[in-house]
Amino acid sequence: MRAVRAVFVGLWSLLVGLAITIKHFGRTTILRKKVTEQYPHEKPVMSKAYRSAIKLIRFDETNSHDCVGCKACERICPSFCISVDGDKVDGIRKKRATHFEMDFALCSLCGLCIDACPTDTLEYSKLYEEVGYTRHWKHDLLKDFNAYEAQFVAEQRAREEAEAAEKARAAEEKKAAAAAAKAAKAAEAAKAAEPGAEPVADPAADAAAEEKKKKIEAAMAAKAARLAAKAAATPAPEES
Amino acid sequence: MPEEIREDDAGAMGESYYLNMGPQHPSMHGVLRLKLRLLGEEIQDAEPVIGYAHRAHEKMAENRIWPMFLPNTSRVDYLSGMIYNLAYCQAIEKMLDIEVPERAQYIRVIVSELNRISSHLLWIATYVMDIGGVTPFLYLWDDREIILDIMDRVTGSRLTYCYGRFGGVTMDVDDLFCEQTSAFLDRLVGRMVEYDKLVRKNVIFIQRSKGVGVIDADTCRQYGVTGPSLRAAGVAYDVRRAEPYGIYDRFDFEVPTLTEGDCLARYDVRVREIEEASKIIRQALRDLPGGLVMPEKPKKKFKPSPGETYFAVESARGHFGMYLVSDGSETPFKIKLRTPSFSNLAAMPKVLRGTMVADTIAIVGSIDIVLPEIDR
Repeated sequence: MRAVRAVFVGLWSLLVGLAITIKHFGRTTILRKKVTEQYPHEKPVMSKAYRSAIKLIRFDETNSHDCVGCKACERICPSFCISVDGDKVDGIRKKRATHFEMDFALCSLCGLCIDACPTDTLEYSKLYEEVGYTRHWKHDLLKDFNAYEAQFVAEQRAREEAEAAEKARAAEEKKAAAAAAKAAKAAEAAKAAEPGAEPVADPAADAAAEEKKKKIEAAMAAKAARLAAKAAATPAPEES
Repeated sequence: MPEEIREDDAGAMGESYYLNMGPQHPSMHGVLRLKLRLLGEEIQDAEPVIGYAHRAHEKMAENRIWPMFLPNTSRVDYLSGMIYNLAYCQAIEKMLDIEVPERAQYIRVIVSELNRISSHLLWIATYVMDIGGVTPFLYLWDDREIILDIMDRVTGSRLTYCYGRFGGVTMDVDDLFCEQTSAFLDRLVGRMVEYDKLVRKNVIFIQRSKGVGVIDADTCRQYGVTGPSLRAAGVAYDVRRAEPYGIYDRFDFEVPTLTEGDCLARYDVRVREIEEASKIIRQALRDLPGGLVMPEKPKKKFKPSPGETYFAVESARGHFGMYLVSDGSETPFKIKLRTPSFSNLAAMPKVLRGTMVADTIAIVGSIDIVLPEIDR
């Protein structure tokens, strides 16, 4: 009797399992619920976090990258797949990268180079169709920038010259102001030295100091508010 | 068999023979080789031969600076890489006393538990496949695929994550991540009922696993067996509960324990662990605070003061320990990984002795070994 019961229980368990299988089978064949992506016809959309080979960021202000060839990424790479070189360019303060190559076949996509970059000019690209035609094929990260390099150098030189001129002008003004203040002070001292004259506080200077203090306080409050806002807002990794 | 040779004294007459299982056997979970001494179909002795996937991770660590070991960690155990990756981060944080923001702590718990669920789902799928059921494999991988997609959106990788950093995580999660995760957990509830009917109540599955490969609590203690195999033997040991790391002491969850210690009990423990992990994720999603996940850029180079640090986490396979020795330089003096699969496999010769050769796959598969983790 027990054997008969075991047979029926076992048979029932198989039928229950079969019913589930049939349900799933019907879902994909009769209802045609597709779960696969028809790849060459439908291109996938890569998420913001997607990691592919690294690339240099093109900044809007300069229309170029900011790599100074410091080799920080090359040193921290656990796979030793990055090779960078930088050189000094005439008329520009910072060095410029002259060679930036990466062997994607070795890369383990850990992102340590991106964290290590002091100028924040590295990021992941969204390439996913990675095909090489030779065995020792490497990514040349400067490829897109080489054409603009001369233009960038000229613009940067102009920018830095303008900056230097501005700085010189500011220094000159400061110097003049200091000289004027000195003269005023000397005059004040001469006035104070006169017998019977009380040393009077300059009301204008007092007002200026007060204003400056207020300005600093306002700036500090604004900074705190900005930090709080940054903390509250969740920097969302949106789909790109 | 001639009549004069009886089965009982066949061994004495030199009738026992060796059978090599693996390293390329399709059910040998990677590259495990089992040397079995058989008498008929009965296993008299078993010897696991390991080392086919040795990649010298521990030696590699000694030749590079501390952060450069980060991508290696998730490759030690590729099925629950996130837990191992975060274990290394937390060990370094313990060594250097780095503060981790609340939000990053919660995100770490969520992704770790998601990773644990995906690892257990994969184990159920492959285990059922090992002992003859092909169909559940496809359904379970379908579920696991959703986890991988969710993780991919946040961490940028599907399997070998390098998500943790010393003092936080690389990328913040968004609302869509929380929605997708809760939707997945809701879906998983129904699916687990289905698997219960499809696998757990199946008469063939029960007969292949019930009473097979019993590891009792004493054996577990002798060999250092941890994880679901230990809990299936009746010892309620879970690192998350025994010595809570991170913020695990804030969550309400149970340590599922059974007393049978056989393959079926190990299956049940894992199924219940999936439910407990879902519970933890729901609580973490509910309490997820705002704020930054990485307040400042992670340190590139640092010199920890000479000394030792031990940090243990509960991986999907058991007690995973990281033992860091620093001699005060930029590179580790030694990083020793205490991997659970290694200890779990060590008990196998004792467990396999006296069982049938047909049960070998069912027993070895049930302790959820990952060979790259054993060989490292």
